[in-house]
Amino acid sequence: MTVDAVYLLQLTLNGITLGLIYALIAVGLSLIFGVMEIINFAHGELLMLGAFAMTFALPVMGLLYWPSLAVAILAIMLVGLVIYEVLLARLRPDEFERSILITLGLSIIIIHVMQYFFTATPRLVDTQYGFEGVSIGSIRITFTRIIGAVAAAAAFGGLYVVLRHTQFGRAMRAIAQNREAALMVGIRPRVVARNAVVLAAGLCGLAGAAISPIQLVTPYMGQFLIFKAFALVIIGGLGNIPGAIVAAIALGLIESWIGGFYEIIWQEAAVFVIMIAVLFVRPDGLFKRGGMRVG
Amino acid sequence: MKLAIALLAALAFAALPLLTSSNYVIGVGISALIFTVAAAALNLIYGFTGLLSFAQLGFWGIGGYVTALTVVTFGGNFWWGVVWAALLNAVVALAIGYPTLRTNRHAFVIMTLTFALLVTLIARDWVDLTRGPLGIPNLPKPSAFGHHFATTGQFYWVAWAFSVAMLAFLYALCSSRIGRTLVAIKQNEPLVRAQGIAPMPYKLSAFAISAAVTGAAGGVYTFHLGIIDPLFLDFYYMQTFLIIVIIGGAGSFWGVIAAGVALSALPEVLRFSADFRMIIYGVILVIAMFVMPTGVAGWLRERQLNRMREQLR
Amino acid sequence: MTAILHVTELRKSYAGVHALDGVSLAVEAGSITGLIGPNGSGKSTAIDCISGFQKLDSGKVVLAGNAITGQPAHHIARAGLMRTFQTVRIYERLSLRDNLAIAAQQFDPATWVDEFLRTRRYREAVDKAEGRARELVELIGLKRYWEIETGILSYGQKKLVALAAALMPHPRIVVLDEPVAGVNPTRIREIEVALAELNRAGETFLIVEHNVEFITNLCHRVIVLDQGKKLAEGTAKEIHSDPRVLEAYLGMTPEMAEAEMRGAA
Repeated sequence: MTVDAVYLLQLTLNGITLGLIYALIAVGLSLIFGVMEIINFAHGELLMLGAFAMTFALPVMGLLYWPSLAVAILAIMLVGLVIYEVLLARLRPDEFERSILITLGLSIIIIHVMQYFFTATPRLVDTQYGFEGVSIGSIRITFTRIIGAVAAAAAFGGLYVVLRHTQFGRAMRAIAQNREAALMVGIRPRVVARNAVVLAAGLCGLAGAAISPIQLVTPYMGQFLIFKAFALVIIGGLGNIPGAIVAAIALGLIESWIGGFYEIIWQEAAVFVIMIAVLFVRPDGLFKRGGMRVG
Repeated sequence: MKLAIALLAALAFAALPLLTSSNYVIGVGISALIFTVAAAALNLIYGFTGLLSFAQLGFWGIGGYVTALTVVTFGGNFWWGVVWAALLNAVVALAIGYPTLRTNRHAFVIMTLTFALLVTLIARDWVDLTRGPLGIPNLPKPSAFGHHFATTGQFYWVAWAFSVAMLAFLYALCSSRIGRTLVAIKQNEPLVRAQGIAPMPYKLSAFAISAAVTGAAGGVYTFHLGIIDPLFLDFYYMQTFLIIVIIGGAGSFWGVIAAGVALSALPEVLRFSADFRMIIYGVILVIAMFVMPTGVAGWLRERQLNRMREQLR
Repeated sequence: MTAILHVTELRKSYAGVHALDGVSLAVEAGSITGLIGPNGSGKSTAIDCISGFQKLDSGKVVLAGNAITGQPAHHIARAGLMRTFQTVRIYERLSLRDNLAIAAQQFDPATWVDEFLRTRRYREAVDKAEGRARELVELIGLKRYWEIETGILSYGQKKLVALAAALMPHPRIVVLDEPVAGVNPTRIREIEVALAELNRAGETFLIVEHNVEFITNLCHRVIVLDQGKKLAEGTAKEIHSDPRVLEAYLGMTPEMAEAEMRGAA
């Protein structure tokens, strides 16, 4: 079977975009886990809300992409804040199962409330860029995809700067590495946790808003993506941010390549098979649980 | 004492088809019985052993499909179908349990969730095997010893006998030394090891047994519905089992049984809107986690403990 | 007298730090041996390595003539080495009776088949264990809590329960990891008395502790660790006046230490 180089390139580019989106979700999950030791089941719903926010903001903003994106991100950060203050703030770090069940309940509520008010009919999102794009040879990439990928990469760059060079970032890393020591030094866990949740929500909102022109928006869209993000966080090592990013992009590429040549069932199964394989060999994930190593 | 009440209740339940001819009510009764069995199996792995497993949904679905396929594709009978459902699920549980239980509990939970979703995908996409979204309809009601359990009322007794047998088995297990060891593992695993007990075989066994029971329950329920399709793997079932365990009290055998019977009627009461019903489920889950994380049984136990504390002062 | 526990050249490092740097020690059968040392000297690591809760890098551990080096914790327990933990470990939501029953469970010949069929083997095993449990409960003075959930006991009482549980299967040696840390003085005395009585009845103990008075009163021999190495060994008295030991602990001179000891005596 001769492999068409152009086809492979197209798959690779799609894979990278997909991987970046996965990475945005996985990094947020990792961040929350690193700081609070809980898994946020409602994370996918934050993405979905981001996509929906985009569908509402765009018409209001005259289909202008960037202002709508900003609005969507801010809206979801606000949602994250509310979720933290009302629910997550009351959780202690050793209450893992309880946190899963609470966020699971939240996830159910959000999905079905959205479905109740907006129905499950998929929505198409139109932006100022429409379907225009760039053509390289016989490969075509829409602007919205490129911008989505660029925005994601920029977000990671920003995150790196925050974690490495700001006090807030250092505080998050401190708590993730050694909670007791961080507390003794006077870092306030509630503040750090709240900020981590809001930041993670922002990343999700960005992901949702970035995907919305590329794929159909439905209340269930977060669900399809989230279980892969969970698996990525495990594969990359719980609380390990670079690990999550590497795993995410790798998964995006692998899924894209498999999807291009084999049946869809293998594409979906890929992440599960990989996760089992990794856990067999390295029970703590591919990279060490580094308490949010940044470099 | 509790056993006596349980036996009376079981007999009372057996009488249901004699008291009503409404297929709807009998259907609710069947749901109550089967969901309680599945919840009791979840209680074994989550309440007793302390491992939150979403894989139950996958086992439930596999059980349903295996039973249906045994009858429709392989020409077997319903009873063997249920047995195969149990056995296959036990094997699958051992296969995925071995790598996952060696990891930490975070990874375990996520692995089980991924497994459940994978089973959903297989049900939907492996059309050659499962007939995809169309599913397998017109499942025949079972027969035994020449008697055909054709009506809902008659099938009720199949479900009843199955449920009583499964619950009796689980009761024997939970109140044995094995059950006690599982509880010990949940409470303090390093101590268990320091006392000469290897935790892995126990965790694997609990996982496999809960998988087998859940799978068998799925098989029986499928034949009640008369059809199996990917909707059988809807997360709604997992949530139902979870809510029963949580409200009843994770780790309390009788609490979960009581909750199972009481709550199974609930979905029927909230039938008017699927979305609204799910929202209520979500709200119950969140509120229970804050107000009553150990369920009704746990709350009662707490009160009993406080009284004892007072006495011992 | 023969050594029931023989440890040779234990080594363990993490991240370049030598937590244990060639530690060798022996515990005589029927003795109470103390293991002391300043913080970071490697006492807890030594206990964890010996009992199978941490992997050792090299060295040998022999229990009653059988090598148990590097075996998993549950094998070592079954071979006859029982231990307690620094932060007390018991089954808080189970009764005292159940706590002790579980501790004995692995050591009787009854299987789940025996239990299901209620065979004689099972009933005898249960009776035997219960007899032993009641004896021990009497000894630690917690008879009235027999059916009560152990979670409501005080910290010191819980430590006594952990001790009783460790003794249930008639072990060859019991290793106690800071048995009186965080316990109030009256209770410390109770634990001391209980241990002395058990020792008189033939039990062997290896005790890791910080409490100098406790060690002095109880132990026949004391081993001192410092920075992963054995620093000194001898009777409690000999250890007290060993200048190397005093230096390691507090940078004290013998005169200062004398004054301290007189205060504690």
